[in-house]
Amino acid sequence: MGKHTNPNRRDFMKTASTAIALPYVITSSALGDAERPPASDRIVMGGIGIGNMGRGDLGAFLGRSDVQYVAVSDVRTNPRKQAQGRVDKHYNNKDCTDYNDFRELLAREDIDAVHVATPDHWHAIMVIEACRHGKDVYCQKPETLTLREGPLMVDAARRYGRVVSGGSQRVLQDYRGVVDKCWGGEHGEIKSINVNVNPLSQACNLPAENVPADIDWDLWLGPAPWAPYNSKRCDGNFGTSGGSWRSYIDYSGGGMTDWGAHHFGGATFAVDVREMQPEEIILQDDGKWLSFRFSNGLLIHHNKPNTGNLAVEGTNVKREAKPVPTYKGSGGIYGDFIECVKTRERPFRDIELAVNSVALSHLGTIAYRLNRSLTWDADQQQFPNDEEANRMLDRARREPWQL
Amino acid sequence: MLEQAFEALKVYDWGTDPKVLQPINAAIIESHGNEDARQELESRLTAILASDTPRDAKDFVCRKLMLIGTETSVPALAKLLPSQDESHMARYALERMPCDAAGDALRAALGNVEPAVQVGIISSLGARGDEKSVAQIGELVSSNDAAVATAAARALGAIGTADAAKALAENQASSDQAKMAATDASFACAESLLAHGKKAEAVAIYKAYIGSDQPKHIRTAATRGMLASAK
Repeated sequence: MGKHTNPNRRDFMKTASTAIALPYVITSSALGDAERPPASDRIVMGGIGIGNMGRGDLGAFLGRSDVQYVAVSDVRTNPRKQAQGRVDKHYNNKDCTDYNDFRELLAREDIDAVHVATPDHWHAIMVIEACRHGKDVYCQKPETLTLREGPLMVDAARRYGRVVSGGSQRVLQDYRGVVDKCWGGEHGEIKSINVNVNPLSQACNLPAENVPADIDWDLWLGPAPWAPYNSKRCDGNFGTSGGSWRSYIDYSGGGMTDWGAHHFGGATFAVDVREMQPEEIILQDDGKWLSFRFSNGLLIHHNKPNTGNLAVEGTNVKREAKPVPTYKGSGGIYGDFIECVKTRERPFRDIELAVNSVALSHLGTIAYRLNRSLTWDADQQQFPNDEEANRMLDRARREPWQL
Repeated sequence: MLEQAFEALKVYDWGTDPKVLQPINAAIIESHGNEDARQELESRLTAILASDTPRDAKDFVCRKLMLIGTETSVPALAKLLPSQDESHMARYALERMPCDAAGDALRAALGNVEPAVQVGIISSLGARGDEKSVAQIGELVSSNDAAVATAAARALGAIGTADAAKALAENQASSDQAKMAATDASFACAESLLAHGKKAEAVAIYKAYIGSDQPKHIRTAATRGMLASAK
């Protein structure tokens, strides 16, 4: 199924992306004042999905003097209008345009970059579409809902030379202590690291409610299966055990991806396997926990009993320290993205690295759901000789949406 | 417990606790490696599709057939394809079923459905990498329906063969949306061709997009492709 898993094609994409580093002249039609960089140095941005995380992202970009924020898109009228008002108040003008349909925002030629903070089932379509429109993208985590989406997002980024950053600020910040010890050689040769995160997402069968006037329900669902509106189905609270879209399988991988993106991101960074995907997913103790085995022998455990989150096991024979990769520019992960938009470097959480770390969430989920160990061929992006598992690589999208 | 679950499935509707169907989920997982048990489950689930059950019940069945469906369930799924309400979930199963019959059913439905539904069938054929549908889908790139034309172009990009590239070149999209999709699909085909050592064919595609009339990011993509082809 599909031709995107051809390993030769993967190699080509890597070659193409390093073959050329074209200069990028940033242009903007935005006006400014004496305290702000000239328009030609400012990144013109828009935001898609202005809920709990989207508001935070908007605030981070809005607060930068090297960004001109010009547009917001959300399928809910109230958050969208509030976001528009916030932007206008910041600039003391009425220049921010709001859109129900993100495609209208992406069609604007004056916009250089967008941030995406919708529910997860929209991420791949929006990132790919933004790249097709020549935009750089900052996409909230988890960057993917299925395994098939990841390579296609990377392909789009590389094809158009776009800067695409995933969105976990915790990888470098929250887990810094673990990272420093690992990269500093204090654990010696690292054998394993553990990640504790739960739960998997669940089926949602909530009863129908009247659709409020301020939500475009069909567009909220987008590529997900049709279901009647229910406020708990689409609630953006951070819970993952019901009563929020983060809980439900059609929109999210549950805590396994929602917090897994952070924890697996931190773990893969700490033990320096961000550029790899595991070869084996080993169910342990009748499926109570599991281990990912990488080609270099390293193990990342998931929910190993009596083991702390990001607990590291190593030889404890001190090794030579390696310099820790870090953000470019200033302003955390947001500043890293903006700096890379200017310099055309790959950001700290480049989409390929993000996809690799979230892949652990998806691979683990499939192993748990099938209740058996699996092998994984990262080059082919397939479970070798495992037709049943391969069916779970993706899911058909509701028309008219496709990758 | 399994019998109770199948009884509950017949009247399953939005608002029912999904836990009532958990025995079916468990039986499916346990039937891995047991072909007889799996066929029995598939037959029982497929029977639900032909009966007068709520839409939610049929949706559940389609989700399960996504995992265990074979040629046996294709006819029942195919009957749902023309329906605007049921087509997506039929494709939810068919798109992921590796059997040839699933692709045959999608192809057979392609010319016999309304455009709004046709878009989905086209995308599923693309996601399957269905080379047999290249000619049919190729003609739809020039459809007056922008959504159909866009879906057709994207599907050809997903299929990514030399024939798909040829179909994109021979059938002109008319709307801006479909043209953009055709451009991206052409690049996807070029990448596949290059990966298979067909440099000349890939370069021919890229050359069409390096003109100054193209948007900057398109010229960038084409130039990157040409440089990669030169290696």
